Amino acid sequence: MQTLIIILGWTGLAALFVRATQQPAGATAPQAVPFLGGGTPDAHAWQRYHFRPYTMTLVFIAFEMEMMFMYPWAVVFVSEGIKALAEMGMFLAILSVGILYGWREGVFRWQ
Amino acid sequence: MGLSSPDPASVFAAIGPGWQAPVERLLARQGLRRALTPRDAGILLVAGDMPGTAAEALSRVHDQLPHPRVTLRWTIAEETADAVAERIAATWRDLRAGEADESDHLPDQPPNEWKGVGPHGQGGKGMMGGTPYGRTMAMTGEDIRDGLQLDRYTARIGPFAPMLPPGLVLEVTLQGDVIVAASVQSPPFAQPADADAPELCAARMLTLLGLDEPARRSIRGRRPSGFWVRGAVPRDLGRIKDAGNARDRLAAFLAGDSPAVAATDLSELLPGLEWSEAMLVLASFPPSSILRAAPIPEAA
Repeated sequence: MQTLIIILGWTGLAALFVRATQQPAGATAPQAVPFLGGGTPDAHAWQRYHFRPYTMTLVFIAFEMEMMFMYPWAVVFVSEGIKALAEMGMFLAILSVGILYGWREGVFRWQ
Repeated sequence: MGLSSPDPASVFAAIGPGWQAPVERLLARQGLRRALTPRDAGILLVAGDMPGTAAEALSRVHDQLPHPRVTLRWTIAEETADAVAERIAATWRDLRAGEADESDHLPDQPPNEWKGVGPHGQGGKGMMGGTPYGRTMAMTGEDIRDGLQLDRYTARIGPFAPMLPPGLVLEVTLQGDVIVAASVQSPPFAQPADADAPELCAARMLTLLGLDEPARRSIRGRRPSGFWVRGAVPRDLGRIKDAGNARDRLAAFLAGDSPAVAATDLSELLPGLEWSEAMLVLASFPPSSILRAAPIPEAA
């Protein structure tokens, strides 16, 4: 309980300190618009763009994480037996959903 | 910080007709720094007589300088660069001492109210619905590379964008950083032949590449070592018939000659390029060739 009070107290003090050191933005409307060299935008600056390496990231996680788990699994496989086999089956089933999704997105097509 | 602090005066330049070369040479001096955005500047240097069409844009840029800020005008050709540099230094000292400031030119009101179709300002088309302060949310369109449906952002950039020739207003539609459409809204201000000087053209490209010191050296007349610098320009970017690519043109600028570039339609040249590439391509043309390329707006 004492520890909790100390942690909360320090957190509160830290929050107050951060608040005190931050200057208020205080931007007027002309200052808040994006800088376009004097030009004006048509749309709000918030927009979605395509993060193109995302499919690569997906496949990397699917295959790399598999190996991360397989090494310790191989060490205990003999002693754990059928239970370890079932666990690995579940794990691979989950990861293969990601691989199937990547397949649908055309990650494995060589261009 | 003391007044003798060696920090350079940060100046944002709004360049008018005929003043590109003098301003670029001025801001390459020791003790001065050309800010690439008004948010980074304390002094707004207005060079030349601004046409009335640029007045509102100038006010917009002025208001984007953070406080404290000061506007300096350089409109008399007889005033030497030395005199202006001295004026800027004195103003910078005043700013550091907190003895000067200017208020906004434009009213402190958003361009529009936040208004959607619903009774509480909510709802509408677009990603989130509603139009926050008069700006609709970006709507999707086909990406020109692979046909994905991505948001399109349209804006007019210029006439005081530091990466564009002064006076040029480009209306660009962007998806991410790829330009999908571009059109010239108003042509660049006319500049005398001095603005085409190879050392200035080279410096514009070097600044875009983030090589500020080589850019300064180039303007002061010393040639940066070309080999490394040329390699910073992407391979085979902005190839024009009879004028090579951007890398060739930079090499020519660095070697001290100004290659003649045929007028090219920007609305055909820019789409498909990423923003940074497009700006490099534009900077690889001498300003006079961009002026020739820009369509003259029809008189109303």
